[in-house]
Amino acid sequence: MKHPGLQRLLLSCIGVALVGSCATYYRSNLVFNQDFERGDLNKALRTLQEKPSEGAGKKQFLYFVNNGLILSLLGKYEESNYYFERAYNFGEDYRINYLNEAATYFSNPNFAVYRGEDHEHLLLLYFKAINYLKLDRTEDALVECRRLNIRLQQLSDRYDTSDKYRKDAFVHTLMGIIYESDMDYNNAFIAYRNAYEAYEGEFMQLFQVGAPEQLKRDLVRTAKLSGLDQEYEQYKVKFGILVEDVVAPGGGELIFFWHNGLTPIKTEWAVEFAISQRDGMVYFVNERLGLNYAFSSSNYKSSDIKSLSKMDIYRLTLPKYVERPVFYAGATLSLGEDHYPVQLLEDVSKVAFKCLDERMNLELSKALLRLAVKKATEYQARKSDKWAGLVTQMINLMTESADTRNWQTLPHSIYYARVPLKAGPNTVTLKATDFQGRSQDFVFTYEVKPGETHFHTFTSLDALQAHPGF
Amino acid sequence: MKPFRILLLAVVLMSCARSVTRVDPGQTIDLSGRWNDADSRQVATGMIANLLNSEKFKEYTTQLGKKPSIIVGLVRNRTSEHIDTENYIKRIELALFNSGTAEVVESGAFREKLRVERVNQRDFAKPSTVAQWGMETGANLMLFGEMTSESDVYEKQRVVNYVTTLYLTDMESNKRVWYGQEEIKKYVKN
Repeated sequence: MKHPGLQRLLLSCIGVALVGSCATYYRSNLVFNQDFERGDLNKALRTLQEKPSEGAGKKQFLYFVNNGLILSLLGKYEESNYYFERAYNFGEDYRINYLNEAATYFSNPNFAVYRGEDHEHLLLLYFKAINYLKLDRTEDALVECRRLNIRLQQLSDRYDTSDKYRKDAFVHTLMGIIYESDMDYNNAFIAYRNAYEAYEGEFMQLFQVGAPEQLKRDLVRTAKLSGLDQEYEQYKVKFGILVEDVVAPGGGELIFFWHNGLTPIKTEWAVEFAISQRDGMVYFVNERLGLNYAFSSSNYKSSDIKSLSKMDIYRLTLPKYVERPVFYAGATLSLGEDHYPVQLLEDVSKVAFKCLDERMNLELSKALLRLAVKKATEYQARKSDKWAGLVTQMINLMTESADTRNWQTLPHSIYYARVPLKAGPNTVTLKATDFQGRSQDFVFTYEVKPGETHFHTFTSLDALQAHPGF
Repeated sequence: MKPFRILLLAVVLMSCARSVTRVDPGQTIDLSGRWNDADSRQVATGMIANLLNSEKFKEYTTQLGKKPSIIVGLVRNRTSEHIDTENYIKRIELALFNSGTAEVVESGAFREKLRVERVNQRDFAKPSTVAQWGMETGANLMLFGEMTSESDVYEKQRVVNYVTTLYLTDMESNKRVWYGQEEIKKYVKN
């Protein structure tokens, strides 16, 4: 370039443009996030829908699920399911766009379409199924139940070791609840038994979440209702349950889901690598973190190797989660003099951390490859023109960022309780208690017909201050 | 080199395209190793052949002096998989119906629908066309069944043995008139 003024202007423009594009996903949607966290759902929905183009872009999955979740919270279940269905179809039809994938190696992973985390694809079906149950459309809820089963099978087939997130006990429990709502007690029993085994196995090991007492009662009850006498006796003795829960004749039932807090937010962290090459291998080493990655130099062109060998230390960015700790420690439901503990079904936050942990090696490999490609382009550009090399270096520096996208309107944890109701009006109180022992009451009234099951979800968006940095 | 690169790009892009192929419904395609349509078909085929050739069933029909009416009762699933037993039960019903060896009477939710419709006819249909109450065909036999599975898993290998047992029970005497059993054993190596 022969015009220094123009060069400086160009660099400034690139810098300003790229700084904006490299904000985390949370920051770049700050207004929406703040509206949502304040509980101003209508405003959050308006803010979200101001950008309908996102419904066809690289973040379309997040656009669909955020719409679906907020509309569900607003009680617009049909509209909510329209968006959840689009999110589900996106997951089904997702194909890797190799051109976009290639572009991520020259820029950052945000150039690729966000495909959604495993647990996000399961949870969207949870919301969809519950919406249908609230609409009293059991057949449609059963469709979601079958889809959940397929998703769980796909998840389970991906890994063959029990230290991976390959079973979701909460989803099995949900399937049991849906089957039971259809009076298919046999399938409900199978689902509850699978849930119990997953809680006692993987969920306890990975997330320290054991089987809720209510699930044990659900298991015993459905064993009896489906005529599985042997299993009924076996579990009754095992759990020490003397009287199984059966809805009193003429009464109804409440199945209450409590969504406590907010799921973690993805942000990025930087890791520095020293690079060296010997014996036909390129090594990326961070001694402090004990990281050492070797790539065969035959994967690189000789020019790339030459540029790599001139490197000292390089910085690359990786995604990480920042937890938003819950405000409420627990809750109880009361109906008259009777109290029912609201029990933990899934710690969504821990599941999210686990999903990312399992992928971290892959994320790291991709980031290293990205670094190598960027440095090679920088070296090539510098060879032809000093300014071109500088511009490339600046672009590389500014575009380096991690993929910080995730479904951030999900709850931190999901709890549930079953409450037997009498026919007619029932006043149920949820007492949520914080970590200082202070409690807050939320009162709900249900008008119940004999044999009716009410499905209710209650969401507390309150969260403690997360660690800064997202 | 340029045309070669364009060609390579085209090949890569084409390889990303979704492909859908119609296949013969009778073709066995095993993907995950779990229960699938081929297993339902195998159970149905085996059970139909077993029932239609059963001497005990023929003997019962002869003693009854007419084609027995069968109602589908309950098929319990004790396996750890969500298996839709309707898939093979409907095939068995169809084969029985087409063979002319037995009559099938409506059960479960469909029977309730018919009864609701009959109530509605009394209010809304021309009297001469109203279906009468008390004219349903009582079943002679009820079809019951049970599915169990035993699994053995070691590292990346899995053996599952599915046992499906069906039986026809006389409505009056509670005696079992026919038994059928199909076993499917699978060895899955990941």
